[in-house]
Amino acid sequence: MTAPKRANFKKIKDKDFELIRAINSGQYGRFPDLVKRYEQKLYNFSLRMCRDPADAEDTVQEIFINVFKYLKDFRYEAKFKNWLYRIAASTCIKRRRKSKFAPERELSLDAFYHQEESESPNQVPNWALMPLDRMLNNELLDQINQAVFSLPEKYRLVIVLRDIEGFSTAETSQILNVSPANVKVRLHRARLFLRDKLKGYFENE
Amino acid sequence: MSNDLHDHRHCLELFEKLSEYLDDELDEATCKDIEKHVKECVACFVCLQTLKRTVDLCKHAGDRPIPRDFSRKLREVIHNLPKTPSA
Repeated sequence: MTAPKRANFKKIKDKDFELIRAINSGQYGRFPDLVKRYEQKLYNFSLRMCRDPADAEDTVQEIFINVFKYLKDFRYEAKFKNWLYRIAASTCIKRRRKSKFAPERELSLDAFYHQEESESPNQVPNWALMPLDRMLNNELLDQINQAVFSLPEKYRLVIVLRDIEGFSTAETSQILNVSPANVKVRLHRARLFLRDKLKGYFENE
Repeated sequence: MSNDLHDHRHCLELFEKLSEYLDDELDEATCKDIEKHVKECVACFVCLQTLKRTVDLCKHAGDRPIPRDFSRKLREVIHNLPKTPSA
């Protein structure tokens, strides 16, 4: 008789597991609790990915329908939130492919580097030094969100997951099914792109 | 701090790693290399500071409240789903 195989992963602690187990054991009436827990986050994630509020609403609805459909396949091997965002990101990408958007732009690192070099700044601009709480206002938040909207999708997905939603490089890599190295490359370019947008905004303020 | 000490090849090499530096994802030797370089290179110092501020601002981008009508509609859609999920 052979010893039972041990699972090749650490036991995950997750506040969502109890609710997911309840739903998966047949308490489907608790699914709205899951919706309540994540609708706000997924609405904002979808809004950042779709740009248009009506599209974002359709996307959130589709995400929850997919979650309902596939929840029984959840294996409790990773945090539920990571699995949820994997469905969310995949739903956003599929919806985009169905639409008639032009092919995505690539962001080149050289473009950001040479720009920096030619400007030869001799001091840190005020906007990078001011206390953060004195800077944050609705107009600036709107600028940040507009700058995020203007990123090509594959860069936008990464910066939204990493810097706005707070996932780690490893988690983002699993959610998007791309290598951690690729996540890092995309994130750096996305940040440089946003930095240029913010620089433009503060210079023209 | 002086731009005279600016080694452009080294500068480009480190420029590629600034986000990993901010995210604490580099080994100690590379971190020290970056810290030494930005003390000598104004352009890279400014780049690092503005990049750091960009990340900080992103982390504060904030969420919009979900429209109430949509939240209500979403609950209706969920309520009308079949009682058992089928793939």
